[in-house]
Amino acid sequence: MEREAAELFEEFKELTASEFFRRNKQMLGFSGKIRSLTMVFHELITNSLDAAEEAGIQPEITIDLKRVDKDHYILKHTDNGPGIPEAFITRVYCTMFAGSKFRNIQSRGQQGLGCSGCVLLSQMTTGKPARVVSRYYEGEKLKGVEMTFKMDVKKNQGLILERKAVEVKSTGVSLELHFKDVSYSLSEQGAYEYIRRTVIANPHARIRFRDPTGHKFIFERATNEIPPLPKEVLPHPRGVTADDLIFMAKHTDKRRFRSLLTSSLSRMSTNRVNEIQKITGIDLNKRPKDMKWEEAEQIVDLFTRMDFMAPPTSGLIPIGKAQIEKGMREILNPEFVATTTRKPKTYRGGVAFVIEAGISYGGESGRPVGEQKRAEIMRFANRVPLTFDQGSCAITEGLKSIDWKRYGIRDLENAPITVFVNIVSTNVPYLSTGKQSIAPEPEILHEVRQATMKISRSLQKYLRAKKSAQEEAMRSKVFETYVPVILREAAVLAGKDVPEYDTILAKVTRKPKILGDAHDE
Amino acid sequence: MMNRKDIAVNKLKSLGERIIEDVNRMNVPSIKVPSRGTSNIVYDEERRYYVLGDRYGRRSLGNVKQIKKIGQMVYMANFCKGLVETGKTATLRELYYVSEGWDIDFGDQQESNIVGEDLEVTLGMTREDLGLMPEEDGASVYGKLTIQEDDVEINALKSGKSGYTISPTIDGVDFVDHDVQRVIAVETMGMFHRMVQEKAYDKFDTLIVGLKGQAARATRRFLKRVNEELNLPVYVCNDGDPWGFHIAMVIISGSAKLAHVNHELATPNAKFLGVTASDIINYDLPTDPLKDIDVLRLKELLKDPRYRDEFWKVEIKKMLKIGKKAEQQSFSKYGLEYVVDTYLPEKLDAM
Repeated sequence: MEREAAELFEEFKELTASEFFRRNKQMLGFSGKIRSLTMVFHELITNSLDAAEEAGIQPEITIDLKRVDKDHYILKHTDNGPGIPEAFITRVYCTMFAGSKFRNIQSRGQQGLGCSGCVLLSQMTTGKPARVVSRYYEGEKLKGVEMTFKMDVKKNQGLILERKAVEVKSTGVSLELHFKDVSYSLSEQGAYEYIRRTVIANPHARIRFRDPTGHKFIFERATNEIPPLPKEVLPHPRGVTADDLIFMAKHTDKRRFRSLLTSSLSRMSTNRVNEIQKITGIDLNKRPKDMKWEEAEQIVDLFTRMDFMAPPTSGLIPIGKAQIEKGMREILNPEFVATTTRKPKTYRGGVAFVIEAGISYGGESGRPVGEQKRAEIMRFANRVPLTFDQGSCAITEGLKSIDWKRYGIRDLENAPITVFVNIVSTNVPYLSTGKQSIAPEPEILHEVRQATMKISRSLQKYLRAKKSAQEEAMRSKVFETYVPVILREAAVLAGKDVPEYDTILAKVTRKPKILGDAHDE
Repeated sequence: MMNRKDIAVNKLKSLGERIIEDVNRMNVPSIKVPSRGTSNIVYDEERRYYVLGDRYGRRSLGNVKQIKKIGQMVYMANFCKGLVETGKTATLRELYYVSEGWDIDFGDQQESNIVGEDLEVTLGMTREDLGLMPEEDGASVYGKLTIQEDDVEINALKSGKSGYTISPTIDGVDFVDHDVQRVIAVETMGMFHRMVQEKAYDKFDTLIVGLKGQAARATRRFLKRVNEELNLPVYVCNDGDPWGFHIAMVIISGSAKLAHVNHELATPNAKFLGVTASDIINYDLPTDPLKDIDVLRLKELLKDPRYRDEFWKVEIKKMLKIGKKAEQQSFSKYGLEYVVDTYLPEKLDAM
């Protein structure tokens, strides 16, 4: 029987954000058992790091993952951040798109559905409520509250089941969630690896993790410096779309479109605005709300043809080469590390970014496969590990295009090497909604290559020196072994006594180059 | 005059003496090894065989890549000295196994063979002189020749129908007596037996030598010795194709690979009897067409300095022109006896 359109759309209009994502959980990154759990770790860790940094606290996270049945896990996640005031708890954990706004700021890159997405997944797979203990200051007073709640998906808000005040000693949040249909894995895509990489890119954080087998991992912080908070910067004209302009126009308090342009975009002077008006013929004195889509498109199109100063880079906070080295040394305990942080560059003419890279050799660098070590590539965007969809990522592509033989690495795949690459930007160009791979913009590829080639040269120097030291030792050993034997045999051959040969042995072991440079054949 | 054995022992000893002397003078010992690279193998027009040029490499005890080779050479020289002094011989294979017990051994036999050649060129002696024997026996010899091998006298006419087999230790053999005018070497044992059955040794007062294909080092040494010590002319009769030509030529002018010992192996006075391209035409022999590889080989021979004589140039070009080759046994077309009764006498007369 046919149904009327109105009937069909009855369902459509009732769909809240929570309900939508309940039906489309893969859009939150929850696809596949291993990936789902990694995404949960990602959301919770990211939130904890952000919260602690904003409050100026050295982040400390404790994670306890228990396995109660085959696919059934209980996750306890505790941080030492500022805590969440009681009134905001269900808003943070049960409302999708809480506080989403147009901000041009370097962030660990959330859509704003992070924590609530995890609560949603927990509820969908187990039906169990979430439990939170929040410890926070209200005025001078440290307060503690424990809550159990569910998410009311239809209303996109929380439903409190229990609530009680508790005694607490320090700030922070503890969250306990049940999950089914997820799986803990030690693979490159798994939760463990996610934590390990997070600590390398965030050497100021300390993470303790107890895995389902009961094994305790403590990732110590390698530095006490809390990174400065990134500042919001105005977007560059080259970095905005027609949709962005319309969005700004709708939400501005400016009276005229021209003042909207100069106040919302960087590198946008009055002269520039006049130029735009002259070329496009659009009256920029009109009210922002009267801006039509076609006009916005025309303006954005003109942006691409105008010369602007490069975007300001003050908003970019890289990890820094020294901090990357600390992180890599702490976690990988390598023989050798080289790191670099490049100067800011722009892609698509208007988005500033910084590439930083590190390479480590030996120790626990590389991924163990059986007895051997394979090279591993650790990709990061704004300090967040990217562990999926590596195939088409600009970082992978950039590294693959390097002729590693030139750096003394015959086979990158089979070397005990870890390559670390982090892209820092207010607007990381992800390839897909999963935010796991970076678009291969030519400028980004170029920077990835330049950064990696620079540190690879240092590695090459190290490997050369190491090799020649080994060769030197081997050489000496060759002489020390052979000279006595040869002279003994020569003496027998000649029918004479073995001569005193200490001087000759000293000669050949210490000054190899002067002697014996034969012109053989 | 010193015999070959004393010369060998002295040369081996001198290798050790040079090293010890260098050490006593506080010099880093090194050994001059004549180069065996192709660019150092030159055709000596006067001697009519390949010799080594005067280029050499130096193996220094102070060079990490060369010290092992020196060690191997010295060890091998010691082993050879023991062989020569006790009158024993060993094959290269045996040498390789013996070396497993040394403090400096070889990766494989190929490596020990090469060091063996190094020792030959360095001392200017054949490896047979150093007690190192090839695995394979030499050719068969039939005819009126008496030799002495240690205390055994052997008559090559009374050693069975396959004759006397040339031993790898041919330099330890003395020629006691002979009653022949010449030596005819043939490529195949088929022809050897034909000649024995037709009593060619009587008819031409000749020694018959069955080469069995490419002549072994011992065979070549034997032919050189009968030629030079007994003053007998040596003739070679092979198949009429580039491969038969070359078997003869290696006997006459030596091989490039053994340039360092050709002075012991080449018999420049030996003559090629046939089968030539002219024979194929003159005797109207049954033939096979030349294969591509035959043509290629013939063209290579034309560029080879050993074939620069007018005789060879004419015959090779003629064979290329007729595009045909013939085996020496193809004379059977005219009956089994024909080759001995007719062909050989005519060819010998023409020489």
